Formats: sequence, C-alpha cells, structure tokens
Amino acid sequence: MNDFATLQVLAREFIDPAALVAVLPLVPLLPLLAAAILALRLAAGTEHGDAQEPLTARIALLAAIGALALLMLLDLAALFGTLPTSVVVGEWLSIGAVPIRISFIIDAYSLSSATLIALIGGLALRFSATYLHRERGFQRFFLGMSLFLAGMLLIVLAGNAVLTFVGWELAGISSWLLIAYAWERPVAVGNAQLVFLTNRVGDAGFLLGIGLAAWSLRTVDWLAMPGDGSAATVTLRLLLIGFVAAALVKSAQLPFTPWIARALEGPTPSSAVFYGSLMVHAGVYLLCRMQGLLLQVPDMMALLVLVGAATALYGGLCALVQSDVKSALVFSTVGQVGMMVAFCGSGLFWLAAVHSGVHAAWRAYQFLLAPDYMQLVGRPARPVPAWLAKNIWWYTAALQRFWLESLAHALITRPTLALGRDMRTLDAHLIDPLVGAPRNDESPLGQLAADELIRGHGLAGRLLFAFSDQVRRLEDHLLLSGDGTLMKRLQRLVDYADAVESLLEQPRYLLLMVMATFAVIL
Amino acid sequence: MLKLLLLLPLFGAGLLLVLPARNVDLLRRAASLVAALIVVCAGLLVVTFDSANAEIQFFETRPWNPRLGSNLALGVDGISLPMVLLATVLCFIAIVSSHTVRAGAKLYFSLLFVLEASLLIVFTARDWSLFYVCWELTLIPLFFLIDRLGGANRHRAALNFVLYTLGGSVFMLIALLLLYDVAPGHSFAMNDMAAGGAQLPPKTQTLIFLGLLIGFGVKMPIVPLHGWLPLAHVEAPSPISILLSGILLKMGAYGLIRAVATLPAAALDLQDELAALALISLLYGAVLAWRQTDLKAMIAYSSISHMGVVLLGIAALTPAGLNGAMTQMVAHGLVAGLLFLLIGLLYERTHSRDLAMYGSLNRTAPRFAAFIVFTLLAAVGLPGSAGFIGEIHVLIGAYGRWGGWLTLFSIGMLISAAYALRAIRILSTGPERAVGAAGGVPVFADLNGREAAAAWLLTAGIVVLGLYPAPLLQLMAASVGRLAQQFGI
Repeated sequence: MNDFATLQVLAREFIDPAALVAVLPLVPLLPLLAAAILALRLAAGTEHGDAQEPLTARIALLAAIGALALLMLLDLAALFGTLPTSVVVGEWLSIGAVPIRISFIIDAYSLSSATLIALIGGLALRFSATYLHRERGFQRFFLGMSLFLAGMLLIVLAGNAVLTFVGWELAGISSWLLIAYAWERPVAVGNAQLVFLTNRVGDAGFLLGIGLAAWSLRTVDWLAMPGDGSAATVTLRLLLIGFVAAALVKSAQLPFTPWIARALEGPTPSSAVFYGSLMVHAGVYLLCRMQGLLLQVPDMMALLVLVGAATALYGGLCALVQSDVKSALVFSTVGQVGMMVAFCGSGLFWLAAVHSGVHAAWRAYQFLLAPDYMQLVGRPARPVPAWLAKNIWWYTAALQRFWLESLAHALITRPTLALGRDMRTLDAHLIDPLVGAPRNDESPLGQLAADELIRGHGLAGRLLFAFSDQVRRLEDHLLLSGDGTLMKRLQRLVDYADAVESLLEQPRYLLLMVMATFAVIL
Repeated sequence: MLKLLLLLPLFGAGLLLVLPARNVDLLRRAASLVAALIVVCAGLLVVTFDSANAEIQFFETRPWNPRLGSNLALGVDGISLPMVLLATVLCFIAIVSSHTVRAGAKLYFSLLFVLEASLLIVFTARDWSLFYVCWELTLIPLFFLIDRLGGANRHRAALNFVLYTLGGSVFMLIALLLLYDVAPGHSFAMNDMAAGGAQLPPKTQTLIFLGLLIGFGVKMPIVPLHGWLPLAHVEAPSPISILLSGILLKMGAYGLIRAVATLPAAALDLQDELAALALISLLYGAVLAWRQTDLKAMIAYSSISHMGVVLLGIAALTPAGLNGAMTQMVAHGLVAGLLFLLIGLLYERTHSRDLAMYGSLNRTAPRFAAFIVFTLLAAVGLPGSAGFIGEIHVLIGAYGRWGGWLTLFSIGMLISAAYALRAIRILSTGPERAVGAAGGVPVFADLNGREAAAAWLLTAGIVVLGLYPAPLLQLMAASVGRLAQQFGI
C-alpha cells in the first residue's frame, strides 16, 4: 500500500494530468488523420504497386499505435493519479439552447474500451499488411480501417450523444466501404447496401434519441443525461426506444440480426474487427452508457432481457447448423452479444461490460485465425448435434435462419418496391404531362413551324401559351395595326374636316358663322 | 470637365462633317476615337465626383432666355452620373459595332454624335426647359437613323416612334408649364420648380404628375403606352437598337425619378397605381417576349418587362427600391446593349432573326454561343450578374409595402427565365439548321476580334457590377438617400 502511494506521488510528478487530458482528442484524431493522408494519396494516384504498400500500412499502423500509446499513458494516469471525469475541448454547435461541446468522457469503462479497441485495431492492421499483400484494394482497405478505428474510438470516448453519433456514422460508413471492398462483385455491393440500410434504421433511432434528449432533458451529455429522476417516464421511454433501437441494430439483435451474416462479404481482418469483436459491441457499450436512464424505465429493461435471450437462443441454434467457419463464428458472436444485452436488461451492466471486453479479445483472435482453421484443426467439422438433427422443425428453422430475411423481404422490401412502381406510373401518366417533362417525340431535324418552336409544355406552359396568344391578339389589334382600323377612322375624320372646310369656304356659311358669333357675343 | 464632356460629341459631329465622305474606314475610326475620348472623359468625371456629397456637383448655369426664366443649367449628382457613364459607353459600343454601315456613313456618325450630345444634356440638365428641348432633340437623329437604315417596315416604325413620343411630350409640356406657373420667380430651374411643386395641394400635384407620367411612360415604356417600342426596336439597325434599348428607355425612368423628386406628395399618392402599372408591364412584356419567334422582338418585349422592374423600384420610394431601380437601369442598359449587339451581329451574318432558323451555334460559332448564353442568363438576373443586384434590391424595397403581390414579380421572372432558356436551347444546342450564311458568304463566321472586344467590355461591366456592386451603390448612395428622405418610408 505504501508502495502504491509512492507510485501515485511519482506519477503525479511526472505525468501532468492537464497536459494528458489535453492530448485526449488526439486519440480519435490520429486514425482520422491517417485516413485523410491515405485518401489524399489515393486521390493523387501515387499509391500503386508493391513498393507503396509498406508505407500505407505503416501510416495506418503508426496512427493506431500512437493512439494506443496515448491511451496507455492515460490509463496509467487514471490508475495512479486523478483524472477529471470529463474534458471539454470547445463548443461545437448548439441545438436551440442546448450547447453541444466537443467533450470526452474519462472513466474506467471508456478508457479500457478505447485501449482494447486501439489494441485490437492495431493488431488487425498489422495482420492485414501481410494478409492483403498484392490485393488491388490494399490502400482502400487501410483507409476504411483507419476511418473505422477513428469512429470506434470516438464512440467510446465521446462525452455526448452527438459526438458519439459522429463516430457511430463513421463506423457505419467504413463498414459499408469494406463490405463492398470487392465492388466488382454484385453480391458484395448488394450486401453492403443492405447492411448500410439496416444500420440506417438504427441511426434514425439514435437521431430520435438525441432529439428527444435535447428537447426534454435539455442536455445531450452522457453524464448529465440520467438527470435527477424527475423526467416524465413517457418521454424517457420514447427516448430510450430510439437509443435502444440503435443499440439493437448495431449489435445485430433480433429482429435486425440478418444484416450481420451478409456483412461477412468483406476481407477477413475487417470482418474480425467489425462484426467479430468491435462494432458489434458498440450497441452494448451504448446500453451501458445509458444505464442511468434505463434503470428508470423497468419495462425497457424487460424488453432488453427478452430480446437478448431470444437472440442468444437464435444465435446459438443458427451457429450449430452453419457449414462455414465465418458464419458459425458470427452467429455464435450474435448469441454471446445477445447474452450481454440480456445482462444489461437484468441490471448487470458491469457483467455485460466485462463480458464484452473478454469476448472482443477472444473473437478477434478466432476471426483472424478463421482462414487457417482447415489446416489447424485437421479433422472434419463436427456434425449437427443429434438432438437438433432429430427435431426436424427446429433444424429447418435454424438452417433457414428463422426466415427472417424472407419475412423482411415480404413485409418491407416488396411493398416498398410496389409503391415505387405505382409512383412511377403516376409520374409517367399524370405528373410528367402536367409539368411538361421533355420527351423523345420531338422531331429533331427539319424546320419546325414557328409556333411549334415556342409552344409551352406541361400545364403551366400550355396555360401560358393560351394566355400569351390572347395578349398577342390584343397587342396586334390595338397597337401594331398601322394600316388597320385606326388609320381608317382617322381618314374618315379627315374627310369630315375636309367637308366642313369646303362648306366654310362658301360665302353664305361664312356669313352665317359671323352672324352666329355676333349673336353669341351679344 | 462637364462642359468638355458635352462639347466633345458636338466636336465629333463637326469633325466627321469635314472628313472625306468616301473613306468610310477613316470615318469610323475617327468616330470610335472620339467616342472613346468621351468615355474617358466621363470616367474622369466619375473619379472626380465626390460621392459622399448629395448636392449637385459641377454645377454651372447661365441665363438662356431671361424673360422666360430658362437657364442653361448643368450639373450631375449620384442619380445622373451612372446614366451619363452608361450613355457614353453604349454610344461607344454602338459606333464600334456599326461597321456594316457603308452608304451615308458620314451622316450616320454625325447623327449618332448629335444623339449622344442631346442624351448627355438630358441626363445633366438642371433646368426643365433645357431638359425638354434636348428630350425632343433626341427624336430628330433617331428618326433619320431608323428611317434611313432600318428594316422592311422602317418608315412605319420611325413615324410611330416619333408620333408616340411627341404625343407623350405634349402632356409633359403641359405639366411643365403648370409647374412653371407656380415656381417661385417663374423659373424653369429644377430646384425652383421642385420648391414650387412641393407647395401645391396633393390633388393638383397628382394631376401634374400624371401629365409627366404619360410623357415619361411613353419613353420608358409603361404598358399601355409602349406601342412604338416593338416596331422601333425590331426595325432599327442593331447599333441603334443598342442605344434605343440601352439608354433611350432609361431617359424615361430617369425623368420619372426627377418627377418624383419634384412632386413628392403625388408620388406618395400614386404609389399603388404605379406599382400596379409596373407589375402589369412586367408580366405583359414577359408573356409577349415568351411568345416571340423573332429574336429582336423577344428582346424588345423583355425590355418592357425589365423596365417594369425599374418602375416597381421607383414606386416603392424606399432607399432599397430606388437603389434597385437605378442598378436595374444600369444592368439592363448593359445587358440589353449586349443582347442587341450579339443579335445584330448574328443578323449581319445570316439576315434572319427567326429563332427557328438557328441551331447548334456552340458547334459552328462557339464564341457567339458562349456570349449569347451568358447574356441571356444575365438578362434573367442570374446571381453574379448586375441584373440580380437590381432585382434583389427592388424586391427588398417593394416587399414592405406590397408583400404577397410580389408573387407576380416572381412569375414575371419565371417567364423570363423560360424564354431565355428556350432561346439558349434553340440557338446553341440541337441540330445544325441550314441557315449557314446568306448573301454569298460561304461560312458562318464566329465573332472576330473587334466584335469580341466590344462584347467583352459589356460582359465585364455586367460581371463586375454583379459581383462587386459596392462602387455603383456608393456612387448613388448620397443622392438616393436624400431623395428617399422626402418620403420617409
């Protein structure tokens, strides 16, 4: 104990907490910077060939190691010294009166998660440098991985929901980039799209949560969010539905599970860190962060238990019948994560956190090793257990992954497509003629009739044309008809004047005029 | 400086009369040189002008007819100076671009200079009698220029033009005489007449104002009085069209601004009526421009539409509205000038103004196409062009009073976009039509250096004013501010 106290004093002397805290933002920034450099190199087109590979790998790896080193220092400082629980770098923007700061959270959970992420990320990067040698998308892969690392670090370190959401989206977009890594293959691109779209459902939930938090709790800071328990349960429930939906999607819980099986299309190292160990746990991390709020709404907790247990069962059953190693691994991952969600639901947040850390490390190892299993194991894969093989209903259901995808297709995709087709028909038959969208039936060659050239299209154009026709008629009649009626009338007037003039020239009328004048005067 | 500016065109006219008539190129060069000198002179005037001062500057007066109380009074302020500069620039462009005039070139250039001189006096006159005389004086050269060099219907067009303007002028003259009657000391000087006019009861003011409105409205033109414009613009040779549309129309608007300053109570009374006229002009012109297949007629009608914007700005009587009106006048002068210049050059090559005859200019004459596209877009008031600055100011200035009625303004703008884009589509894209070139010229030639230079000059003006309007607004600020102060809106 005495030694520990001495160490603490020493640490305080050598490690200045304020300086350390100041470099905390560098942790997610370093991988982001690496991604930016890689993107620039990609854009400049200077990255081709074997010779460039080591540099690319080194840039990404260096960023990961740098982040890791910083985190280790922070860990040490946190162990031996006193770090503040949060650090605010500056104000970013504000939603109404709610300020959104660039703030980071420093506690045992965030630091350990971040350290683990940086470690696993660095290892996966090192692994990929060899694994992806002479692949065409080598540079692209490292770009995606660096982006992902930045996103994940931001998720766990961010001090408020908005900043976490930035990381959330970074992770989502890099996942999309890497699933479609082999973009020449339609299947890969289709899968990437499906995964991304499914994840957007969760994103919508996240945004709903942020919005409700800003509106009703007047804060988006994780630490301030639980409040003093005075918030209305209805609001909290709605808010939590958003965040929980986001967490369930990201962690591939029921009923959103099917995306994760599709996501394995990417290269193995990326599958390892995304779906095996890191991103799949982001949902659990989010749930643990929300524990203050979750504890105020017991029915949400019950829902979590239900969903987690169901997913654990589902993952376990499906894992048993898979015939390829990556699918088996990913379903058992889903099952494990389901257990963590169930832990969260039962209030055992610490257990979920510990479980997720251990599980992440173990799965990363398993996934990275997956391509070698055929050599390493040596014996044929184990058959489906007898009890499952006998029960034909469960067996089929597990084999078909409980028809979740076909269900989604029938309930969501097909109606949407049909609606789209209807809209298109409406557009082609009603809207297009109304607005006068250009068609291909105009004769391209030859002299057009003058009126044809300026004829309006669509409703507005036709109306304008009719109106302009009227106006032109008016214009022609009234103003431009130089030889028209006006002239004739003028001519008639002149004739009258001439007649009067000639009459006046005759003496008797002149005399009459003079007399009339006198009469008037007198 | 001001006197020199006004004497230079007369000197130019005299110089051309003594030069040999047979050497047309020499004539044109001499004329261009003098016109350029006049532009420089106007530029110097702008440089020496103190824009912070709202007073009339470079003022000088001498009695003309003491018994009548008329003076030869000259001077400029922030409202007349942009017009002076615009007039000199457009005259220069018109002279430079009239190289097809061969027969009677001597008379032609002399008449142009006489026209320029009277234009400049109209814009700088500080005495209504001088203003009126020179206003009428512009008719004489224009009548001959249109009647001698115009298109097929030129006689009718010239006669129509003169009759309309004279008809309007009669009302203007009566109104001026009424004002003269009440002016202190029976003087035609603008300040005296303004002092007299301001004392009149509003009803009388309104009557007098209506007389002036008819006179200026014919020139501007305001819709029921615009009958001369389409014919004159279409039939006039294109350099004259540049002047007609670019600067002659501005005389009407300029006069109206002066009239508003003279009879403020009437202006306030008639605000809504003026705005209604403006919106009608705007829509009427736009719809008819949309209806035309003749390029020149299209631009002629679009001028009516654009002058409607100017009238709306004047009717608003707010600083923003008046600034907008002035800016729009300058912008329209440049844009319409450039449009008529380009269409005139097209016509020279093909002897056709029919939209249906053209196509695919961007392939056969890329420079032409680029300029035409730019100018038509500028005519719509694309942000970055001077017209946008004018329109946005007018919109802001007028919004406070008329609010939702300005939807009509937007519809007008929409229609103008429709015809401009259609013209762009037909002229510069699509199939190559068989116009080629008429009159034994084998190929359709692109703009040559001199023509491109003239176009560049106007283009630069449009873009510079569009991106950096501050100098122009600064130039007008003090005078417009004083003018708007009378109304306190």
